[in-house]
Amino acid sequence: MYRFIRFSTLLVGLFIAIQGYAAEAPLTTADDLGPAVEQPIEFPHNRHAGKHDPSDPSKGGMEIDCQYCHTYARRSSIAGIPPLQKCVGCHNNIESVKDKPRIKKLFEAWEAKKPIQWKKVHDLPDFVRFNHERHIKRFVEQQGHTSQEACGYCHGDVKNMTVARRQKSLSMGWCASCHEKAHTVAASGVDVGKQAYWYTFQKPATTAKVPEDIKAKGPNDCWQCHK
Amino acid sequence: MSVTNLLENWSQFRHFHPVDDKPHDPYKWAMSIDLDACTGCNACSVACYAENNIPVVGKERFSHGQQMHWIRIERYWDEDQNAVGGRDFPDQGAQFLPMMCQQCEAAPCETVCPVAATNHTSDGLNSQVYNRCIGSRYCSANCPFKVRYFNWYDYPSDDAWPAEMSQQLNPDVTVRGKGVMEKCTFCIQRVNEAKVKAKSEGRLVRDGEIQTACQQVCPTSAISFGNLVDTESRVHKQWEAQKVELDKDKQEKDEQEGGSKLRGYRILEELRPYPSVMYLERVRESAV
Repeated sequence: MYRFIRFSTLLVGLFIAIQGYAAEAPLTTADDLGPAVEQPIEFPHNRHAGKHDPSDPSKGGMEIDCQYCHTYARRSSIAGIPPLQKCVGCHNNIESVKDKPRIKKLFEAWEAKKPIQWKKVHDLPDFVRFNHERHIKRFVEQQGHTSQEACGYCHGDVKNMTVARRQKSLSMGWCASCHEKAHTVAASGVDVGKQAYWYTFQKPATTAKVPEDIKAKGPNDCWQCHK
Repeated sequence: MSVTNLLENWSQFRHFHPVDDKPHDPYKWAMSIDLDACTGCNACSVACYAENNIPVVGKERFSHGQQMHWIRIERYWDEDQNAVGGRDFPDQGAQFLPMMCQQCEAAPCETVCPVAATNHTSDGLNSQVYNRCIGSRYCSANCPFKVRYFNWYDYPSDDAWPAEMSQQLNPDVTVRGKGVMEKCTFCIQRVNEAKVKAKSEGRLVRDGEIQTACQQVCPTSAISFGNLVDTESRVHKQWEAQKVELDKDKQEKDEQEGGSKLRGYRILEELRPYPSVMYLERVRESAV
């Protein structure tokens, strides 16, 4: 009898622990840190996108919007890599750093008409259908988050990195941990058209008095992401 | 899915498709196929091979029943068969029926999958997730239409697409490996593309915006595909005109005395899988 109670206590304890763990989100641990990727040019993300330092402008970042260079993210499913032309377009006019080794390398490639072979850092498996455009449309254009915040949901704190490194696991459970949460669907009372956010079995309660109270979960059909 | 979620939304998980389900909103993908228009040319099948990276298995494996065609043309010979000295394949009397996954609302394959690799989407499609499939082939056994196909071999490394041929594979569709089940997806890659586009433009998918590969190539436009919820869609109008309702296992029109003159019917409706494909009966006597 005593043994039986002990065993069932263990079971109940396990159940509660597992449930608590499952409700915890998002799933991000230190193990999620991806491998360091060696790029042909050690691109300083912090210098471009980092916070501006008014006391010493030569040290801080430039606070450039992510989408200035990663311009395809809002237009297509694939974010793409900015062409060399984009780099040169600015750097042609920045005399102060032209003698730096990294910039020299950049112009060497430009003169040779050879693209820089950037390595992929965030590489999803081939069977995943991920769409950058939808996420940017939703978080940046409709809900007014900054690019740095919205992109950071998945790409981590890139503005403080030099060479970008994967910070989130990008596993299915990690994606689902966000898609399972109830998000506000109509941002700040703005009607987002006839857009159906409830591609799930859980439709939002439309009885809400304030538009902000209408909440729905992200798409959770298998075929939404699995090819 | 946490346990709390399961308990809170129990009534939603525990529902019977599609009878006491919430109506599909905003999409329910469905098809209608006009058998009178079908000439059995097999273009749909070829298009499907090209679109969905289906391996060509060859004569020998085909004869072993290891074919992979997601859409097949079934042939029926209705004359000369019982006549004395009748031939198996007479000059006259061939009827054709394109058969693909019927995307059943209460799909028999879904309930038997031991790992839930096949399940229902809210658009009313029967999804198949290759990563999850362990190859028990139970779904195929339970499918009344026999439209599920199993990868008996590792076709990518088995030279199903020799040399340059592999360059023509569709990047939007997974190349399936050995040991997983596959079937018609209603060209889900095209559906999703249109859905994303529509959503970004703040509207619903318009009728005709999505064409499945088989529909696109059909020379007689026998196949139409669309959103059954949209009352303006071609498919909806066809289903309505034929008085075929999705959530019935026996259509009212067939209950009438002397049967119905309408041509629309669904295959094996009485088994209650609630298929999403309606066929229009042949009026001509034969295709050939």
